[in-house]
Amino acid sequence: MNIPIRVMGIATTFFWVFLIAFSVSAIYSAKDVHFDFGEPQMWVNANNETVFSLPVSVANRGFYNIGSFNLTTEISDEEGLIITRESTFIPVIRKSEELTTSHNVTIDVNDLLQIDQKYLFNDAELKIYGIVNMIIAKVIPVQASTNVSIPWGAPLCNFIFGKPEHTAYNYTHLRVVVPISFENHAFFDLSGKIQIRMYNSANTLVGDGQVAIEVRSNSLYHGYTELYVLIAGMTESGCFEVDFLTSFFNYGPLVVSYG
Amino acid sequence: MVDTKNDSRETVQKIVLKVLKASLKGVLFYGVYFVLWMLLAPIPDIVPGFRQTVETFVMIYVFLIIFGELTSGTVFQHFFNVAKTLFVIGYLIFSLKSGILGVTFQNVRLTVDLRLFLIIAMLLGLLGFAKSLLQAISFLNQKGERPSD
Repeated sequence: MNIPIRVMGIATTFFWVFLIAFSVSAIYSAKDVHFDFGEPQMWVNANNETVFSLPVSVANRGFYNIGSFNLTTEISDEEGLIITRESTFIPVIRKSEELTTSHNVTIDVNDLLQIDQKYLFNDAELKIYGIVNMIIAKVIPVQASTNVSIPWGAPLCNFIFGKPEHTAYNYTHLRVVVPISFENHAFFDLSGKIQIRMYNSANTLVGDGQVAIEVRSNSLYHGYTELYVLIAGMTESGCFEVDFLTSFFNYGPLVVSYG
Repeated sequence: MVDTKNDSRETVQKIVLKVLKASLKGVLFYGVYFVLWMLLAPIPDIVPGFRQTVETFVMIYVFLIIFGELTSGTVFQHFFNVAKTLFVIGYLIFSLKSGILGVTFQNVRLTVDLRLFLIIAMLLGLLGFAKSLLQAISFLNQKGERPSD
């Protein structure tokens, strides 16, 4: 009976030593894994979607390979509705290997406006949930997650559709001038045009006009749109339909009553 | 008279030897812990309570090693050995909870899945427990056979 007991003792000791040595070395080597996040880049792709690209560098100077490296970013609104979710997956990062990849997050501003048009006119907060998953030494799954809020700047913040002023243009037409102002709080520059159509009380189109806009990020726009309308079609009351056509989003019609 | 004197001398020698052996084992275990702790040095900064958990474990384990060694040659040694293995299993379950450890550090939640480690450690603990039981049975068996020798 002594020999089997001794064998059991040796085996137990051996496996304990192996287990402790492996665990300690895995934890020790985890501190030699370095992550570096570069400066985020932003551009608009062919589908008119805004792409944020975050360069991610991983330097694995530990003793073991890192498997199933997965970086996931989830952007949601204040109510928790997911706006976008993107993942970057690297199957294996070998030991002594350094690699750089780009984590791209695509946001369609048009989709965002479909969720709620308040993002166009009111500043808000978006929540970013970032998760990094990886498996160290093939057996220890590790997850790091963080939750941050970022401000969303409305591109048409404090939008004011001023009182239309009309003056005689010729015998048949009036010249209507509509003052428009807003603040572009968005992270992008706004370039495009604003189209305005004027309808009378019978809902008949009496005139239209447009103005090109070029508003830098975090700056104020104050301009006028001129419309030439038929005097015969003019009524005391009616409405304007306003459309915004920009490189980032198209929105409209915004209906503004007059009279 | 001379036999009694020799017997007591032998007993003292045995006790001194046991104490020395127990101290040596305790110091050796503490030395291993000290070396491993240096490798795990960054963890206590991230995981609060880690140092206290490990130190409590080491303290009780060293205590059991010393008492197990001091009582060697008696059935109490096996009691301490069994207690040691049960303590390892119990303490691992208690400190690692379900095997998924989570810690929050400056708005970053870090989760480590140690379930595989916990399972292997528990299996090894159970193996050690079985070994200690077999040792106790073997010891009692041998002790039972001795009077008839």
